[in-house]
Amino acid sequence: MPGSFDYGVWIVCTLLEACVVVSALRSNSLSRYFFLNIYMGLSFLASVGRYLVISRSGVSSMEYAYFYFYSDALLTIGLYFALLNLYSLVFDEMKVGRYLKIGAVVLLGGTAWFSYAVINQSSHRILSHFAFELSQNLYFVGLILTYVLWGAILKLRETRARLIQLVLSLGVYFSAFAADYALRNLYPNLQGAFHYVTPMLGCILPAAWTFSFFWVNEEARLAPSRLATVSR
Amino acid sequence: MSRKLSVILLAMLALVGAMSLKTVAVAHGDGSVIMANGGAPVPPVPWK
Repeated sequence: MPGSFDYGVWIVCTLLEACVVVSALRSNSLSRYFFLNIYMGLSFLASVGRYLVISRSGVSSMEYAYFYFYSDALLTIGLYFALLNLYSLVFDEMKVGRYLKIGAVVLLGGTAWFSYAVINQSSHRILSHFAFELSQNLYFVGLILTYVLWGAILKLRETRARLIQLVLSLGVYFSAFAADYALRNLYPNLQGAFHYVTPMLGCILPAAWTFSFFWVNEEARLAPSRLATVSR
Repeated sequence: MSRKLSVILLAMLALVGAMSLKTVAVAHGDGSVIMANGGAPVPPVPWK
């Protein structure tokens, strides 16, 4: 059973998810960052649903396991669309929206096909295992896409402060979970410490996005760190 | 047409990169799962 620390972190995380949507509403950014807010709204609803299932059936019940993994697959798809939302904002001046849509469909379809191919060989509970596998695979796709987007932001010399902050916080979020996974495997004797660290990582993204929507103005620009010099 | 094919190629490259990364991570892992959605406690995987 989760302890008071786990419940405390979970409540903070859930409140921060709601704060993201409220902050976006307050700064009139809901339509511009529509899928980011859809994702945060879904995360909030999933947290409430998970709590209801835990309080009724317990954390080690099959009901909670299935609810958790199905809702996780839904949330990961939501995160994928949130990432595409950021892509469309970064590339909006290049008028490549049509190509982004083609790429997104191919990538999502390819990931779904790969997930099905893996579980088709190994499982008889195809639907639930598929949701789990798709969620895991989309996590890695999201990780790669975030780094690619960061590379594009550097290459295009993007200066919109809020957009940069949203992308960077997503990169930190993905990287933190990857680092946590790697360290858990490298140091299995430190499971006690990771029990406290891993849930807190879930608060990084809602906290950073709340900060971005609440305190960083849409019109804010980052000053270039250095000027390009041209030899004469 | 060539731009569309380039986009498809880039998407496939991203997919291959992500799946390779996942294969490497899972092969060297202890079988635990990577879940990056919220602070809810992760339940045991029911189909293992």
